[in-house]
Amino acid sequence: MNRFLIGGMMVALGALQTPAQNPVQNPAQNQNPAQMTVAFSNPSQPRKLVVKTMMHRVTIKGYDGKDAIIESSAISERRRRERNVPPGMHPLNVGGGGIEVTEANNVVTVSAESFFGGGDIQIQVPVETSVTVNTVNNGVSVENISGEIDVESVNGGVSVTNSSGAVLATSVNGKVTVALDKVAPGKAMSFSTMNGTIDVTLPADIKANLKMKVDNGDVYTDFDVKVTNDRFDTTQSNTEKGVRIRGNKTTYGTINGGGPEMQFTTFNGRVLIHKK
Amino acid sequence: MAEVSAGQVARLAVLFERHHRALFRYFVSMNGDREQAEDLVQEVFFRMLRYRTSYDPAQSFTAWMYQIARNAGVDQLRKRGAVQVVDIDTYVERRAELVSASPGPEESASRGQDLALLRRAMDQLPEDKREILVLSRFQGMKHEDIAEVLGCEVGTVKVRVYRAIRALEQIYFTLEKEKAS
Amino acid sequence: MTCEQARIQMLGGGEGKDFAEHLASCESCRNEVSRIGTLWQSLDLLPLEEPSGKVRDRFYEMLGAYRQGLAAAETRPVRHWWTAPAWQVAAAAGLLAAGLGIGYGMRGNGQPPAEVSQLREEVANMRQLVALSLMQQQSASDRLRGVSWAYRAEPSDREVLGALVTAVNHDSNVNVRLAAVDALRRFSASPETGRAALQSLSKQTTPIVQVALIDLLVDLKNPEAAPELRRLSGNETANEGVRQRAQWALERLQ
Repeated sequence: MNRFLIGGMMVALGALQTPAQNPVQNPAQNQNPAQMTVAFSNPSQPRKLVVKTMMHRVTIKGYDGKDAIIESSAISERRRRERNVPPGMHPLNVGGGGIEVTEANNVVTVSAESFFGGGDIQIQVPVETSVTVNTVNNGVSVENISGEIDVESVNGGVSVTNSSGAVLATSVNGKVTVALDKVAPGKAMSFSTMNGTIDVTLPADIKANLKMKVDNGDVYTDFDVKVTNDRFDTTQSNTEKGVRIRGNKTTYGTINGGGPEMQFTTFNGRVLIHKK
Repeated sequence: MAEVSAGQVARLAVLFERHHRALFRYFVSMNGDREQAEDLVQEVFFRMLRYRTSYDPAQSFTAWMYQIARNAGVDQLRKRGAVQVVDIDTYVERRAELVSASPGPEESASRGQDLALLRRAMDQLPEDKREILVLSRFQGMKHEDIAEVLGCEVGTVKVRVYRAIRALEQIYFTLEKEKAS
Repeated sequence: MTCEQARIQMLGGGEGKDFAEHLASCESCRNEVSRIGTLWQSLDLLPLEEPSGKVRDRFYEMLGAYRQGLAAAETRPVRHWWTAPAWQVAAAAGLLAAGLGIGYGMRGNGQPPAEVSQLREEVANMRQLVALSLMQQQSASDRLRGVSWAYRAEPSDREVLGALVTAVNHDSNVNVRLAAVDALRRFSASPETGRAALQSLSKQTTPIVQVALIDLLVDLKNPEAAPELRRLSGNETANEGVRQRAQWALERLQ
């Protein structure tokens, strides 16, 4: 492909590519000890950010730049330890934050899978990056992203705001809150929780087929939803406390004539679908 | 006419998934109309299906596809009669709307470049210059393939790309000055 | 090397001693190269246009229609019936569906005209193609769409069923797995479905997917699920909601 010049310095694209799965060396120009900047190897191709954490809270923000900027107390912690190594010894990764950042084939991967440590990880990426996050014990917040957003959290909430990409969000024990300004047409989405409210705001003119399944809760919306099918399946059983009715119900409906499928699934929680 | 085999259908589907977005962007860059661009994408794949026997495997697939794309674009123009006369400001305004409608940091300056202005500059480029810029920069086509599509020498492609970006620069800075005044 | 030559070289990669030497000595070219380089890079920052989902729908419709030789696939009107492709005429005259003898031999290779059931098969093939193709995409949102298409496949389509089972067991995205479980309902008539769902239940660890599988097993009225459900309802490490659901399911299946 084409090579081009950056600020007078000739850089061939080949030189920018890091070999597969190599850890990123801290660039010299970084003055902030808690920050790491990573370039995507091919800026004109689709970018992807993958984040996997255990204990850290993750905040991702789209910004108008080309690199991924990762900021975390865990990074400065690691650097501090790297600087204070007594001669002949090496630091053991006990009780540390343990962040690893790699870049390969235009995918920046940030992982902090240690059981110890914690704290926040803040990542800035170009707005047009697709983002995949997997966390266990803390929440995820994504802001101003136009690429696809796939977020999974176990014990934390998921919040997506001011974005326009397709969203697939799930949490076991947390609230899923999504606010989309506009959405490229034809994108399917899905929101699911086990224990938590699903609160989604969609553009008023969106065309979608809704599929909503709530077990212990209700669906509320200010959209004009045309319900197409209401499957209600109940069973009654006699217990010593009386009659217990259980049901699993899925409701289908369309907004603005119908379009790609948007699925809302929750076990204990309600579903709120707001019109923007 | 030979029947389309299941294998050929599967292959075209793969090609579609791989190329239809880039093809769409090519058409949108050339004529600014999203709906028309979608129609044209459809037309190109239809023609690729219909004229699949005319494809020479020795030829670059991308070059063949873009040749068909250019022809389809021209045919579209012919169908609609002569180029509609729209005053340049209206045309540029419509395109600027496209820019503000899409997500992204067009408003903020980045390395001193104003993206909305850059888009306007692209639209004001003469069609042939815009096309070669789109093919080389956005579609990332090799110069050999571009030469095949445009029907010129490989060496000429380099020169034309340079001239195109020079022209873009001129327009951009003129627009910048107008904005400042 | 002259300035003009150097500048043209720049966009092609600007290699070679001559180029570097010229830049070293020529300030105006250095400036030019720097400005153009920045502009060239900025073109990258322009937001990318995305087509709407309609493009894909229309494409696959066309593909399916083309295979069946329906007149809709042809954008040009048929003027003289003897010059138009045989299948097109047959379709236009409604002969394909009627299966009349006049259609016989009009197809290029002398095969009998497509019968209605065969046409239906062609449409099903198209849906299968879309579903399978989408389910292999990198984008989870695309795979989600693929699962929607899978829901519209023929209940006898084993390839799609297989793809769905794979998705339930191996897709990295919880929401895609969840949707795939639901899509399995389309294949309720197939005995493999119940078996696959049961097998999956013993391997899944995501609560919301486990609940969906349990519900499916109840709807499939699969009594073989009882041992696994019993195990799950007694498993103290499992999610409370899942255990409740398993218990409920056991009661339902009695």
